[in-house]
Parts: sequence; C-alpha cells; structure tokens
Amino acid sequence: MPDADVFDVTPVAAPPTKRRSRWRSIGVLVVLALAIVALLSQGLLHSLNYFETIDQAMSSRAKLGTETFRLEGVVVAHTIDRTSTGASFWMSGGHGEKIFVSAHGTPPQLFQANIPVVVEGHFTSDTSNRFYGTQILVKHTASYIAAHPNRVKAPNGTVR
Amino acid sequence: MIKQLSQRLLGPVTLVLLALTLWLGLWVTPPDKVQGNLVRLLYVHPAIAWVALYVSFGTAAIAGALYLWKRTRSELMDRIAYCAMEVSTVFIILTLITGSIWGRPTWGVWWAWDARLTSTAILGLFELAYLALRRANDDSDLRARRSAVFAIIAAINVPIIHFSVDWWNTLHQGASVFTEDGKITVHGSMLVTLFISLFAFTLLFFWLLRARYRLEVLRDEKYQSSLDEALAQRRREGVH
Repeated sequence: MPDADVFDVTPVAAPPTKRRSRWRSIGVLVVLALAIVALLSQGLLHSLNYFETIDQAMSSRAKLGTETFRLEGVVVAHTIDRTSTGASFWMSGGHGEKIFVSAHGTPPQLFQANIPVVVEGHFTSDTSNRFYGTQILVKHTASYIAAHPNRVKAPNGTVR
Repeated sequence: MIKQLSQRLLGPVTLVLLALTLWLGLWVTPPDKVQGNLVRLLYVHPAIAWVALYVSFGTAAIAGALYLWKRTRSELMDRIAYCAMEVSTVFIILTLITGSIWGRPTWGVWWAWDARLTSTAILGLFELAYLALRRANDDSDLRARRSAVFAIIAAINVPIIHFSVDWWNTLHQGASVFTEDGKITVHGSMLVTLFISLFAFTLLFFWLLRARYRLEVLRDEKYQSSLDEALAQRRREGVH
C-alpha cells in the first residue's frame, strides 16, 4: 500500500492543453469554412464565366449596354497601335465579327497579333461596337509548338 | 526482396528523374513559338498540379474510403490517408505558387478569379480543413471516420477543377494532353519532357509519402512507449 503522506492520490483535472488545442482547431475550421464560402460566392458564383466571347457579347449587346465586363477575342494582325498610354487594336470572334478595342495600361509581354486576349472594360455607348479597356490579359492557348528561329522571316525582318 | 529493392531505389530513381527533367527542361527542349522560354514552366507546374489534384489527393480519398469499408478498415489506411493529405497540401500550395509565377508574365496578372484557379484554391482550403479536423478529435476511430468522410466529400471538387476549363470560360488554358477528343497539343521533345516530369513528380510524391508514413509510425511508437513507461512507473510507485 502506498503511503498517503508520500503520494498525493487526490483526483486532479486533466491538463487543459488538449482541450485548448481542440478549440483552437475548431476555430481554424470555422475560419476555413468562412474562407471557402467567401471564395465560392466571390470567385465562382459571381464569375463562373470569367469572360464573354465576342459572339456572346454581340448576342446580348443590348443587355450589356455600357456595363463593365471582360471580353475575349483574337487580336487581328496588323491592327495593333501601341500608344504611350496603352494600345488599340481590332479583336475578332469565332464567327468573324470584329470589335475595335482601345485599352489603357501596359499590355502583358506576350501581347501580340493572332493570340486570344481578354480585355476588361465596357462599350463606349449603348449602340457602339467600340470597346474601352482598362486591362488587357493574354489568354494563351493549350498548344505548345517549338519556335524555329531563322526558319520563317517576316517581310519586316522579324523572326517568328 | 523486390519490395526492399524498390523501396531502396525509390529515392535515387526519383532524384535521377528530377535531374533529367531539369536538364531536358532547361537545356534540351526548345523555346515555345508564343511563350518563348516561359514554356519551361510546363515541366514543373502541370506535374505539381497532377500530383496535388489526382495522385496525392486521390490516394488520401481512396485510403479514407477503404478505412470506411469494414473489410479494409485498418490503422494503415487512416495513416496513409492522413500522410497523403499532408503531402497533397504542400503540393497544392506549390501548384498555386508556380501557377502564379507562370501567370504573371503570360496573362499579365498574378491571380485571376476564374473557375479553375478558384476551385483549386478551394481544394487547398479543404485540405487545410481536413488537417484541422484531425486535430479537433481525440478519439482515433472517430477522427479517422470523420476525416475519411470529409476527404470523400472534398473529392467532389476534383472533377469540378478538371472540367472547369471545358464547362466555363476560363483564363486558364484548356487541357493539352488529356483532352476530350484525345488530341495532344504539345509537340516533340516538349511532350517527352512533360511526361518525364509527370512521372518524376509522381515518384517524388510516393517517396515523400513513405518518409511521412514512417515518421507517423515512429511518432505513434514513441507515444505508446512513453505511455507504457508512465504506467510502469506508476506501478513501481504502487509497489513501494
């Protein structure tokens, strides 16, 4: 038999560390749940479609009016005019429809003719097909083709 | 014998394949027609994303499902699920970082709230929530069952991420290899290097998983031995 004077056998409460750690984990779970809800509402439900193609925009032209949205199309060759404040160019859709874009801000380094771009902005008036952009994004395709330097030279001397 | 050999070779083979990917990706493969040298991220980002979404998260979800099934329920399955999810969390963070590094010079922005990027970020939060959920339970069986159910529910997000580029208009590109019509749009040595990188990072995942699993076993053993030691000490105190 242990000596009660030497060994204190009074029942003691379990150390609170585990419980505190558990509540901390539950707190983290709540924060993460809120973050997921925020991402779902802001990121997905508000912009499941990140942009409208030119064909989609033209079919709902009246509804779009001058509201801000993202427009996607392919930059038409030989139409790019770089200015000190941005760039202007023609953009074409899948069915050949074209929209003139005047964008403010520096285009991304891959911005060039014949590649798909997404321009955030709005039509200049309710009936106009001129688009004023505040940001140009390059939407590169899924194709990866090796560059062959010196194989093809454009008339202006640039190598593609 | 074969099992031991494969376990011993896993690390060296992984390192050799990663070195090969690096060499091919940086020196052998050509620059892309549009992206130029930025294309070299093709040998890093898709492979990391492949491991994060399909290999590691898939392992965690499948191991979780096997734990829930009575015939295959074991501590082994729960440990594999937990360790795979931890490694997956690292890979999903790397996916977002490498994607962001690639996005800035190509798209022009570090981040876009398109469906692919947002759903991937949501999966990352699910994985963090899984790890927090495990810490919130003391009972090992309850913890294993709850986290397995959570992993299976979170796995619904994986096909959403995969098909998001087909279902919606996204800034993120569509598939280049596993396309709906079976076409491959990556050419020549770029494709070979891409496949080597996918294989190399897959092996890296299994190497990390094995190391993490062994660590978990050692931790459990240490916990058990310290518990046994404490009990023995109490018994010795009782004898005196």
